[in-house]
Amino acid sequence: MDTIIIDGLSFALPLFIIAIGGIYSEKSGITNLALEGFQGFGAFIGAMSAVLIANAFGTDIQNLFYVALLFAMIGGMGFSIIHAVLSIKFKADQVISGVVINILALALTTFLTTQINALVFGAASDKFRLGVSERFTIEGVANIPVIGAVFTNVYPFEVIIIVIAFFAWYLLYKTKFGMRLRASGENPHSVDAAGVNVSKIRFSAVLISGLLSGLGGMCFAYSISANFSSNIYMGYGFLAIAALIFGNWRILPTLAACLLFGFAKSGGAFIAQSMALPSSFTDLFMILPYVLTLLLLIFFSKSNRAPRALGEIYDKGKR
Amino acid sequence: MSDYIVEMKHITKRFPGIVANDDVSIGIKKGEIFALLGENGAGKSTLMSILGGMYEPDEGEIYIRGEKVQISSPNHAAKLNIGMVHQHFKLVSDYTITENIILGVEPMKKFAGLFPYVDIRNANRKIEELSKNFGLEVDPTKKIADLTVSMQQRVEILKVLYREAEILIFDEPTAVLTPQEIEFLLGIIEGLRNGGKTIILITHKLEEIKKVADRCAVLNKGNLVDVLDVKETSTKQMAQLMVGREVNFESAKAPAVMKEEVLKVDHLTVKNEDGFEVVKDVSFTIHSGEIFAIAGVADNGQVEIADAIAGLTKVSGGKVLLQGKDITNESIRNRTEMGISYIPEDRQSFGLVLDFDLSTNLALKQYYREPFASKGILSKEEFEQFGSKLIDKYDIRSGQGIKTQVRSMSGGNQQKAIIAREIELQSPLMIFVQPTRGVDIGAIENIHKMMIQQRDQGKAILLVSLELDEIMNVADTIGVIYNGQLQKIASSESLTTNEVGEYMMGAKHE
Ligand SMILES: Nc1ncnc2c1ncn2[C@@H]1O[C@H](COP(=O)(O)OP(=O)(O)O)[C@@H](O)[C@H]1O
Ligand SMILES: [Mg+2]
Repeated sequence: MDTIIIDGLSFALPLFIIAIGGIYSEKSGITNLALEGFQGFGAFIGAMSAVLIANAFGTDIQNLFYVALLFAMIGGMGFSIIHAVLSIKFKADQVISGVVINILALALTTFLTTQINALVFGAASDKFRLGVSERFTIEGVANIPVIGAVFTNVYPFEVIIIVIAFFAWYLLYKTKFGMRLRASGENPHSVDAAGVNVSKIRFSAVLISGLLSGLGGMCFAYSISANFSSNIYMGYGFLAIAALIFGNWRILPTLAACLLFGFAKSGGAFIAQSMALPSSFTDLFMILPYVLTLLLLIFFSKSNRAPRALGEIYDKGKR
Repeated sequence: MSDYIVEMKHITKRFPGIVANDDVSIGIKKGEIFALLGENGAGKSTLMSILGGMYEPDEGEIYIRGEKVQISSPNHAAKLNIGMVHQHFKLVSDYTITENIILGVEPMKKFAGLFPYVDIRNANRKIEELSKNFGLEVDPTKKIADLTVSMQQRVEILKVLYREAEILIFDEPTAVLTPQEIEFLLGIIEGLRNGGKTIILITHKLEEIKKVADRCAVLNKGNLVDVLDVKETSTKQMAQLMVGREVNFESAKAPAVMKEEVLKVDHLTVKNEDGFEVVKDVSFTIHSGEIFAIAGVADNGQVEIADAIAGLTKVSGGKVLLQGKDITNESIRNRTEMGISYIPEDRQSFGLVLDFDLSTNLALKQYYREPFASKGILSKEEFEQFGSKLIDKYDIRSGQGIKTQVRSMSGGNQQKAIIAREIELQSPLMIFVQPTRGVDIGAIENIHKMMIQQRDQGKAILLVSLELDEIMNVADTIGVIYNGQLQKIASSESLTTNEVGEYMMGAKHE
């Protein structure tokens, strides 16, 4: 039971922060299927920075977690510029742009990983080995039954994510930037008429989605996969999109959706383990979150409402 | 220094392929209501968008309070105390009134001296006060989605007042309102003027100008025709200047000669996608030689009635009978063949295939039949012959005759093409939904004439329109709808415009 909660949380929270990135982008009116690519590319930049720094200064890679996190955010944000420029400046189709960016990220990072491994380390590997970030347990509260699991074996990034998520909520709902951002996704003409630059707002929103996705991707790399490789492109970005849709583009309900996915995943793994099934069957249980997605789609696709101007190219002159 | 608060000198603005404003010069005095009159496409909105900072002119100069300015953005215009109430509202329907008004000029406060946040509560108070001062009472915490059109317009007006506008531009503000609402709005506009504001009122409705404006500039095809003193000019003179020729306001119309019943709508109920009843238990009949008009404020179920008769919407209760036959569950094509012509509200999406040429569009409802097609093969000559015939007969004007891509035609001529096509079907029942929306006075006159002609030839005609003038003008029988229910059915002579307006608002009952 405790493992389900512990593993579920450590999966759900990075997913959650990626989904928040998606919420920012989509609330501003830009369809964002590129979350998958952003998180992978961000994680790549973070992991690369970590292994290179570790190599140059002989630091233990475990201690470079925060450095990697920072670089991952910068990397994710940098990569997201492509989506922003294509869909805002060049008014390209946002769905196509997103799909292409995902393919690009996968190909580019796989290629660069093997190249860097070969050139710098002289090793033929398609991975950057990172290990698992250290965890902490809050003594005392950890002993409370059930709830205690929440405070046991916590990754530091889980705390960081919760703090950032809170700040993201504040920015989106309490500040003028957030108010203008949400209005841009509902009716960009109203924002324009109010003398605010819609393109700038949407640009920032997409960059924020890149930044948060990079953060989320790095957390995956430092926890469940313990390395950076093309395995990071497991569809987590798409799962985040599913979560934000089930969450009706709102932050708290999206957290609920992420937790559901997280517990479905850890629960599935737990069942597979406790039944001591061969590994090929474990994979079967790994599809649980996705099956859940399909089921939820049936119930939620009717009642949920996307931002009104989502995916529409904004043309100032058009009346 | 001149006594003008706004001066626009020699303004020229070109769009690809058209000169929207051609060397236009006007001066507006402080504290007057200055009207801008002209047909659709005359360049009124463009001229005022230049003043509002939406467009920059290609040539010409603007002086505000005697000072030369280049208005580069709506923000800049707002700084010069110029505010525009747009023709198409620019509101976020998910936001409250307050949030919409303060968007772009949000009042801020700091939480714990550190975190800035938008001070909604204070803004609510301020807007409530403002709205009371100008007689525009609203509840600032309500969402736009829950407001009527006229309330939404109040929000647009409050938006510019909140930004401390002294010069207020209204772009066709009455187009979407009922007579009572228009009355109220004109009152507000006069009040603003009396409070010292300068008002520019764009419209193509002459009575409104006559009622409130002090002076009036007339635009025609981008050119300034004249600037008139409203008191000394008759509406007839204004209309002539606007159209550039003599116009008839009233369609000459012989009394209706009604014969047998053509359409019977019996306890019709229609539900929308959400299962909500938008048409509730509606019954009426239309006879051969009768124009039956449904009057009502937009979105009260009138379009759904027309759609249900034409087969575009599913009926959830009641019956539709055409010449005594139950057609409630017939397909659209069967209905067309049994005798229904339909001129839809949205001519560009439903009435025409914009990228097809004119002759194809004209044959769109008959192409599968002899002589247009034989054994499944289409005959090009037949299309072209038929097209040429209709272009002559109905005076459809276009750049390249039958080969013209319909997209490039003007709205009035697109509409003429649809009406021509539908008349040619010779159906006993013709349904017109908003046939004159967005077309100019000349074309309106023409369309009304065609409708009356068809009536005189023994067709039954259903007209759905939001323009009360149009209904009073052409209808023989009027059914007023409110909230999905017919409030009143009576002959048009027995009703006054004001009475119809009251039924439309649900203020008066049978
Ligand atoms: N943004 C634009 N791009 C191209 N043409 C335009 C644009 N805005 C207006 N026009 C054209 O300029 C002319 C004047 O339009 P407008 O000022 O809206 O007329 P009005 O408000 O008098 O009906 C019309 O022919 C219209 O099609
Ligand atoms: Mg206009």
